[in-house]
Amino acid sequence: MAESQVETHDLVIIGAGPAALTAAIYTTREDVDTILFEKGVIGGLAAITDWVDNYPGFPEGIAGLDLAEGLRKQAERFGADIRLGEVMSVTDEGEYKRLVTTDGDILAKAVLIATGSDYKKLGIPGEQEYYARGVHYCATCDGAFYREKRLVVVGGGNSAIQEAIFLTRFADKIDVLVRGDTMRASEVLQHELTKFADKITVHFNTTTDEIVGQDGKVTHVLGTDTTTGKQVQFDTDGVFVFIGLKPNTAFLQESGVTLDEIGMVVTDGLLQTSVPGVFAAGDVRSGATMQIASATGEGATAAMTIRKYLEETPEA
Amino acid sequence: MVKNITIFTTNTCAYCVMVKRWLGSKGISYEEVNLDQNPERQQEAFEISGQLSTPITLITKADDSQEVIVGYNLAKLAPAVA
Ligand SMILES: Cc1cc2nc3c(=O)[nH]c(=O)nc-3n(C[C@H](O)[C@H](O)[C@H](O)COP(=O)(O)OP(=O)(O)OC[C@H]3O[C@@H](n4cnc5c(N)ncnc54)[C@H](O)[C@@H]3O)c2cc1C
Repeated sequence: MAESQVETHDLVIIGAGPAALTAAIYTTREDVDTILFEKGVIGGLAAITDWVDNYPGFPEGIAGLDLAEGLRKQAERFGADIRLGEVMSVTDEGEYKRLVTTDGDILAKAVLIATGSDYKKLGIPGEQEYYARGVHYCATCDGAFYREKRLVVVGGGNSAIQEAIFLTRFADKIDVLVRGDTMRASEVLQHELTKFADKITVHFNTTTDEIVGQDGKVTHVLGTDTTTGKQVQFDTDGVFVFIGLKPNTAFLQESGVTLDEIGMVVTDGLLQTSVPGVFAAGDVRSGATMQIASATGEGATAAMTIRKYLEETPEA
Repeated sequence: MVKNITIFTTNTCAYCVMVKRWLGSKGISYEEVNLDQNPERQQEAFEISGQLSTPITLITKADDSQEVIVGYNLAKLAPAVA
């Protein structure tokens, strides 16, 4: 039985990105007592994406921030309670799960993990030293400081190329450093990139080894051309790093929830994890396709599974 | 306790929206300087914070002392406006 003095809910959703907000639209609309915790931005990574071209229903595309606002408003219309705070741990106490949060302990009959992922760091000299003073991970947040400047973008995936194109609004010249000999970015983006050839130069087979500065300002990036083994230098005012994502699952260590080899949450087809009453949806889930449309789809699926779970779990 | 608050923002910065939302939820008013609309104030934002990142929240207290918080960081914002 739940302790009477501890705040208790039927469902706690961890995160308020597209997966979480969609699940909340479904559960709150059906009067399931639901709260959400968001430690960063409501809307998740979708909110910090400049422009979303492939989310269905928006023929001309939509600004990520506007899509996030729409999802938030829709969830709040049905009574979703979004708390600005963090969930630090989850433990399985049988019928109830205990969550340690910035609002204190909370008990929940069901928990939905929709915590997505965070940017990976390069782990090279200079990266920490010039953090937010020349080394950045969010183009929509910090790009505006580089009007008519020179930039280096590190990475060759969808995010890197999308962000390099966004940064051409501000910067005059952008060197994109790609470790391998090909790009992981989609054909569509690679084609788009060709339209910005006057500003963006892509350097393949180039590692990023050190970020160097003087008087508190970044001056250049040192890398290696792996085809020749020679050191290469790129003069720049700033560096934007987009080398992939790592799942936000460190807080699950004590939970008993099974993670895969890279730390993503393992679920079955109904999005149930290895712990009964704990579910996962969106980018954090092992096998996720890392798209907003799939995150919202999984949010809806998880909500259905959770409603059934709550109906079938007898009252204590 | 707090005399006034100025937030430096940009059009696309989602963390700026969160700082404004959080202050709004506490009934705290603030002045916003949008750096996309006022690029001439970019240098001032950098000098205040030493960083090239938004949001930059400048809090002036009753005794005219100032605190600068870069980013959306409730662990710093909450005590600064208390
Ligand atoms: C630069 C970039 C461009 C992209 N462009 C597109 C695109 O054009 N189209 C597309 O479909 N997809 C795009 N994506 C991918 C898309 O943003 C993600 O697939 C989608 O946001 C995943 O949603 P989610 O809800 O699973 O996770 P997220 O959006 O990552 O949300 C998870 C939320 O959980 C919060 N959280 C994490 N841990 C905790 C905790 N312990 N306590 C409380 N809160 C926590 C996080 O702060 C975050 O807000 C892009 C991604 C990036 C990085």
